[in-house]
Amino acid sequence: MKRRIAWAAGAVALVLLVLVPWIATPTLIQFGISMLLLATLAQGWNIIGGYTGYACFGNSVFYGLGSYGTAIAMVQWNLPFGVGLAFGAVLAVVFAFLLGLPVLRLRGHYFAIATLALAEVMTAIISNLDIAGRNIGLVLPLLKGDTLFYELSLGLLVLATLTVLWISRSRFGYGLIAIRESEDAAAVMGVNTTLHKVLAFALAAFFSALAGGIHAYWITFIDPESAFDITLNVKMIIMAVFGGPGSILGPVIGAFLLSAISEVLSTQVSTVASLFFGLVIVVAVIFMPRGLADVARRFKQYGLRYFGENVKAHRL
Amino acid sequence: MMPILEVRGLSKLFEGLVAVNELSFEVGEGEILGLIGPNGAGKTTVISLISGTLKPSEGELLFQGRPIDQLPAYRRAHLGIGRTFQIMKPFPGLSVLDNVAVGALFGTGGGQRKLNKARDDARHWLDFVDLGHRADQRADDLGGPDRKRLELAKALALKPKLLLLDEVMAGLNHAEIDEVVDVIKKVRASGIAILVIEHVMRAIQSLSDRLLVLHHGQMIAAGVPDQVLNDPQVVEAYLGRRRA
Repeated sequence: MKRRIAWAAGAVALVLLVLVPWIATPTLIQFGISMLLLATLAQGWNIIGGYTGYACFGNSVFYGLGSYGTAIAMVQWNLPFGVGLAFGAVLAVVFAFLLGLPVLRLRGHYFAIATLALAEVMTAIISNLDIAGRNIGLVLPLLKGDTLFYELSLGLLVLATLTVLWISRSRFGYGLIAIRESEDAAAVMGVNTTLHKVLAFALAAFFSALAGGIHAYWITFIDPESAFDITLNVKMIIMAVFGGPGSILGPVIGAFLLSAISEVLSTQVSTVASLFFGLVIVVAVIFMPRGLADVARRFKQYGLRYFGENVKAHRL
Repeated sequence: MMPILEVRGLSKLFEGLVAVNELSFEVGEGEILGLIGPNGAGKTTVISLISGTLKPSEGELLFQGRPIDQLPAYRRAHLGIGRTFQIMKPFPGLSVLDNVAVGALFGTGGGQRKLNKARDDARHWLDFVDLGHRADQRADDLGGPDRKRLELAKALALKPKLLLLDEVMAGLNHAEIDEVVDVIKKVRASGIAILVIEHVMRAIQSLSDRLLVLHHGQMIAAGVPDQVLNDPQVVEAYLGRRRA
């Protein structure tokens, strides 16, 4: 019964989201596109960071490869948008495999640091490629149609979320979670850890690249700095962690809430907005370090004590 | 009859420190082989080398006549080698049931593909080690003795042909030890060969068909328990040389 209500609520929310372009103002639709793409990035990070426990700080590289793949295919080779998207996704997935094999041997902080450097390296490489327009960037053909971009972004987020739903209930997902919880134990229990980690990495790359491709065509202009924007990494991780890493809807809800808070703050109190935003995150980390998903699971059992327990557990 | 596991000239060096030195032994089908020795003798290293958690510096490992020393840990698990960890490694954030289900999903022969079937199997193994009533709890909510049981259930869910047990009785009281001994006897009765490290002498003496004594990474005695435990060299390794 409870499950049915949850499914029904999800379906209603989805229908409302689909209808947004016909009821909202143009500014709101544009905000919606950014929010949906960020949510997709957070959901992609959730697969490698939340489920597998490998805190990747380099998913912006996949986003950038998706952007450039799409742009190069469309601008230099005059291919249609769909082909460009696919090309960007292939680039990112291949890169994830090649890179994942060595980098995923590192654990913990070492992995995080190794991935952090990726965006910088990629910015430098792209800035020197003629086909990518060097450091000037590329201008994509103009397509006026925010509704299309909105629905595309929503479709991508739904696909990413359904993938995570499948992961959470599959043998593959159990393998990922086992790796997150204890990699040595996972290996002696028969989990092919290398294969699982690389596949998770590639899945994250796939969704990040598609988000990048849609963003590139929507914005119509990309350059190395904006396509490989490293602050995107921080954003997607904060959103995923705020919502609840390793949960199905947590990263999506986290992305929606934080995007909204950030948007409201920057229009209402523009100068000190980032200060407030920082405050929101600090408070969240102290009182609900395991994200909204964990609050939703345990609040009933603990009540307000839940927040107190978290503060105590971290000896603040 | 062919032994299930053959160890030939196995050595492991940690940056020059010899942890295991030219060790050779066999585990027969359906046998319980006890591995004992003072702290630091290299017992856990031997189990890690057999399970693939560590790579040997030298020597050969044959499982059912087939060389396995180049295989990664997960492939050895697929062949039917299961182990427990002395420092227990549960999946803390998962339920007790799902901890065991991982073994059923990925174990011998590549495991069970269906999640529901794996959970049914997991329930069976939890009952087998008398932990069924805790199935829905999180693994990190379990106390010490129950964690030991969980560790055992996880290894059993692989459906191993060879089970490597690293001090599954440490920290248990007498009654709990007797229960675990009974479980191990049940496991053996189902035809699984077992290599067991244990400090609880009473238990290992009653369980083992043969005992093997390690000291400074070398085998200093092997044979039936009563004989080995009275060997002067073994007594000396444990108690030190008696002053004249």
